[in-house]
Amino acid sequence: MRYSLRDALRKYRWQFSGMVAWTIQRVTGLLLLAYLFLHVHTVSRLSQGPAAFDRAMATFHSAFFKLLEIGLLGVVVLHASNGIRITLVDLGIGVGRQRHLFWIVTVGAGLLVFLAGAIPLFLFAIGKAG
Amino acid sequence: MECQVTLRVARHPAQDGKRFSEYRVSLEERMTVLDALFRAQREMDGSLGFRCSCRVGMCGSCAVNINRIPRLACTTLVRNLKSDVVTVEPLPHYQVVKDVAVSLAPFFEQWRRARPAFRPRNAGASTLALIGKDSRFRQLAPAKRDCITCGACYAACSITGMNPRYLGPAAINKAFLRLLDPRDAGGEDRLKILDRSLDGVWRCHTQFNCTAVCPRGIDLTDSIVRIKRALLRPGRLFPS
Repeated sequence: MRYSLRDALRKYRWQFSGMVAWTIQRVTGLLLLAYLFLHVHTVSRLSQGPAAFDRAMATFHSAFFKLLEIGLLGVVVLHASNGIRITLVDLGIGVGRQRHLFWIVTVGAGLLVFLAGAIPLFLFAIGKAG
Repeated sequence: MECQVTLRVARHPAQDGKRFSEYRVSLEERMTVLDALFRAQREMDGSLGFRCSCRVGMCGSCAVNINRIPRLACTTLVRNLKSDVVTVEPLPHYQVVKDVAVSLAPFFEQWRRARPAFRPRNAGASTLALIGKDSRFRQLAPAKRDCITCGACYAACSITGMNPRYLGPAAINKAFLRLLDPRDAGGEDRLKILDRSLDGVWRCHTQFNCTAVCPRGIDLTDSIVRIKRALLRPGRLFPS
């Protein structure tokens, strides 16, 4: 292969981190939109009575869905932390140092918030499975 | 031991059905991609077409896609690419004239739309205008005025690829320079063009691709962001 994954990573990791951030925002936005539809679909079961809603909710109590919740948290945090970066750029803050902004705000701060939420969720999921 | 690199050059029109021609070029110390193209053209294939002029990064005419990134062929050292294969392609978002030479017509069409020419505020003045050292123009202009119109930013911008009517980073930066200039009187006209929702500054998604590829190191996205913010503060546009 002429253009390897390593080449792509080398190109986008630092020089084009703004493009990476833009792509992250679009992809996470679409994932959140899909989640929103799923959420509305589940809540709409209420119209069929409490029993139907309880059955739908029981599906989400499994350990598998708890792990999926960790993924959802990751998507939300990434979208939010990158949103903060975009807001700062639009306010004219850190435009000249946008690469640092991406790695510190979007990736760094986002990872910290994600871990703060993901660890308890993971322990809960493990406990559920045990 | 002689060190060689493979130079893959895009061909337009295709040569014998192939979109790329490959040449093995001996690598020399401080050899640029333009040097490699010249060696391939003179020693291996006289039909190879590319553009160049100054060879020192001042004219911008040799801008091409080198290993998928818009760069100037004359200032890109082959050794710095850290690759055995150097792929040279025409800049995207332009019509190809021959091989890797493109027509910059779309770029200069947008450049003209941004009204780049200086319009004196006081055409009949007999004395030179004084610009204070703490004025916004003096502070910001030095970092913004080195554009060599190579078109690399236009090629790197994904918005120009989707919307050919979008002004593009270089034209907006030029308009920004004029807006900053307290001697210029064309501000209102330019702002109307820049403020257009479908092809003005609002199309920019702050991807920073233009800034990343600018061979002169101009922070083009910064100019766009500053214009966006100024448009939201009517009456407070670029105080001099």
